[in-house]
Amino acid sequence: MLEIGDLCVALAGRQVLHSISLTAQQGQITAIVGPNGSGKTTLLRAMTGDAPFHGHARLNGLDVAQAKLWQLATIRAVLAQATQLAFPFTVTEVVRLGLQSSEVDAQTDLPARALAMVGLASYGNRAFQDLSGGEQQRAHLARVLLQVWQPVGPNGPRWLFLDEPVSSLDIGHQLMVMGIARRFADAGGGVVAVMHDLNLTAMFADQMALLHNGRLAAMGSPHQVMTDGTLSTAYGCPVRVNAAPDHGPWLVPQAMPA
Amino acid sequence: MVMLAETTDIQDRSIRAARVTQGLALALAVAGLASIGSGATGVSLFDMLDGLSAREALILWDIRLPRLAMGALVGAALAVSGALMQGLFRNPLADPGIVGVGAGAGLGAVLAIVLGGLLPATLGAWIGPQLVPFAAFLGGWAATIALYRLASRGGSVSVATMLLAGIALGALAGAVTGVLVYMADDRQLRDLTFWGMGSLAGASWAKIAASLPLIVPVLALSPLLARGLNALALGEAQARHIGIDTERLKRITILGVAASAGASVAIAGGIGFIGIVVPHLLRLATGPDHRFLLPNAALLGASLLVLADIFARTLLAPAELPIGIVTALVGAPVFLWILLQRRGIGGL
Amino acid sequence: MIRPSLASLHLGLIAGLGVAALATFALADTPKPRVVSLGGSVTETIVALGAEDLLVGRDSTSNYPESVLALPDVGYIRALSPEGVLSLTPDLILSEDGAGPVEAVAVLQAGGIPFVTMPGSFSAQGVLDKITSVAAALNLEAEGAALADKTAAGFAAAAARADAVTAPQSVLFVISLQGGRVMAGGEGSSAAGIIALGGGVNAVSGFDGYKQITDEAVIAAAPDVILMMDRGGDLALSAEDVQATPALAATPAAKAGRIIRMDGMLLLGFGPRTPDAALALNAALYGG
Repeated sequence: MLEIGDLCVALAGRQVLHSISLTAQQGQITAIVGPNGSGKTTLLRAMTGDAPFHGHARLNGLDVAQAKLWQLATIRAVLAQATQLAFPFTVTEVVRLGLQSSEVDAQTDLPARALAMVGLASYGNRAFQDLSGGEQQRAHLARVLLQVWQPVGPNGPRWLFLDEPVSSLDIGHQLMVMGIARRFADAGGGVVAVMHDLNLTAMFADQMALLHNGRLAAMGSPHQVMTDGTLSTAYGCPVRVNAAPDHGPWLVPQAMPA
Repeated sequence: MVMLAETTDIQDRSIRAARVTQGLALALAVAGLASIGSGATGVSLFDMLDGLSAREALILWDIRLPRLAMGALVGAALAVSGALMQGLFRNPLADPGIVGVGAGAGLGAVLAIVLGGLLPATLGAWIGPQLVPFAAFLGGWAATIALYRLASRGGSVSVATMLLAGIALGALAGAVTGVLVYMADDRQLRDLTFWGMGSLAGASWAKIAASLPLIVPVLALSPLLARGLNALALGEAQARHIGIDTERLKRITILGVAASAGASVAIAGGIGFIGIVVPHLLRLATGPDHRFLLPNAALLGASLLVLADIFARTLLAPAELPIGIVTALVGAPVFLWILLQRRGIGGL
Repeated sequence: MIRPSLASLHLGLIAGLGVAALATFALADTPKPRVVSLGGSVTETIVALGAEDLLVGRDSTSNYPESVLALPDVGYIRALSPEGVLSLTPDLILSEDGAGPVEAVAVLQAGGIPFVTMPGSFSAQGVLDKITSVAAALNLEAEGAALADKTAAGFAAAAARADAVTAPQSVLFVISLQGGRVMAGGEGSSAAGIIALGGGVNAVSGFDGYKQITDEAVIAAAPDVILMMDRGGDLALSAEDVQATPALAATPAAKAGRIIRMDGMLLLGFGPRTPDAALALNAALYGG
């Protein structure tokens, strides 16, 4: 279980997050949504131990602020937004970086299997920097999956923290990646994802946290949170849920065959 | 998009790296034998095989072997330091100069050469001829620690700040060096020039003994940093997510470079290009994985400097060429060639 | 890679043997030692003692007389290659002060080769001491005494001329004009030494050795004469260089066109030719 209590973050003297309290359960996908600048990524960074904060954050009972980096690395993996790779590594070499040392000898086919999961089965020997933005994002996801390959480990559930995991993907790969997260949660792991796409959030999230101006505006299932009033206030524009447009083609991922 | 031909298998790359390691070990052995067997006196390996005359013993034990050992040590230290710095700064053009080792050591050497005569006579007699290497090492070390302190805030080190502070510190050291050069007399100026061009002519077992404890541990333990440096290629935050203590990694790497590069500059003066060209060539050959890059850089750096030294001391015999000139003459064109190659394939 | 060193070894042997016929009789009962000379003044002294045939190697500053240029060059005296010197199989190394690196000198000494450092200061006595010491090291005491007497007589003649000067000229020695900035010879420099021996007065003081001085210091020095070297590669300066440098052009010396150029090694070498240099300088300063 991920427990956040009374969490406050100040960056460069400015209060970015105000007293956030929430819990995320294993077996579930918890989405963090909200308008630009509402503090979504900062909240994720506090949860992963990247941003200093006041209050408390505990992952499987482990104090995130106090835990050793290697301890955290064995129970959670993080997919960051933009990553600039420094040297001409191949795709497989990058993916292998996710392997924790104890697993290296055990299963050498894991990198290939992780790549196959994200639809990059034949890309292993390509230069990473030659991949498109979306392919790079999926290859990084393969690396992150490798780090927490078993959704449940000896010390309890493992966690995936994803910062906008579908931001540069086409709709087919968006569904593929969200499906991977879904299966990870179904197998007993926990998923926390910063999301921009409300349709995908509604489709995949078990619960969602809506941030607005650094405060938790709403928390609950998509059914509870995604109402016209709540979303309109948070996003600062009129939003209508479950309303079909009058004209023109439209498309939602929910309508796609599984 | 056309599928690229899969010319190399990933397993291939590590197998190839292992082969390269064997090849380089062989190359170092050959270069070592060539170094022992060549020199201005023309005494060859065959001459030495049938027992050593007193003169041959002197040439072998007091001239060629110390030069071989010092060349191998310094070459390995410079190449590994370069690879470590490039990994740390995530930049293939970084070298130990960036953390102030070069500027600091240079300032130390200039101070010693120009102001060495002002030391109290007792201290001067005690430290004597080792003043310049000693001061160069202290200067390199002090500059590195100062930079590290400048770039540290709240227990974390900003690599970007370190880079900028390094430039500022280099300029400051350059200015002070300028003042000292102004004060220097004719002979001191020539000493400064020769120091800046590097040389192994001052090789001695005493210098090797003094630098060994600073260089060998760094060479031997650097592969332990490989996983961290590989992860760092993803960025600092990503490396931490994988479980790498990046602050510790930075601290150890910088101290290791200050020790090994500082010791090499101290005993051999300014020798350029080894630190940049060697890791670069190896990345082209076997990829950027530091697990292979670091040991191979030690072997290739050692081989190249031993080879360069053979040229340095036989080309103009009985005089000798400063070795820094040899490495620059060969290294600079190779470096340009690498840049052109990279441009040709769209940048690696 | 071995070939160049062998070639130079042969060169050394040929240079040594080629002039063997001229060997001085003083060494008839001594095995003919092979000598490497480090430093231009030491080399000049050896040659002046009639012992040029003993030389098998020299350093890069030894370029007088021209015949020594044929000898193998072991490089700059402060950056010697131990094996390079050893390859000449010397029995004796005679050196000016300051040969290095110390490790190279130590190796040569460890090889049982006497490495004798000659005294020397930029004065008449320094030159005489050097002659005596070089002669002693070569077992040429008689030749040494003769050369020392001759040189001392030369110095005495120069001193007599210098003493006769009633209105000493102030002389600014300019060793280089890098980027229009004047590098001049200060106190204790070889230039100051030869100016004194020539009966002049050094126009600048307050610093040791050769230093760059400011334009204002040049003007304040107001030298009657500017002295420069006319040989020595990039150190050669011409009268046009002086007139093109504003600070120098403004001096009494430049206005009067009193610019003296002399051979650098003759002027600053402080060897057996120094009395000649002092007399030549005196003549250039005061006529006659």
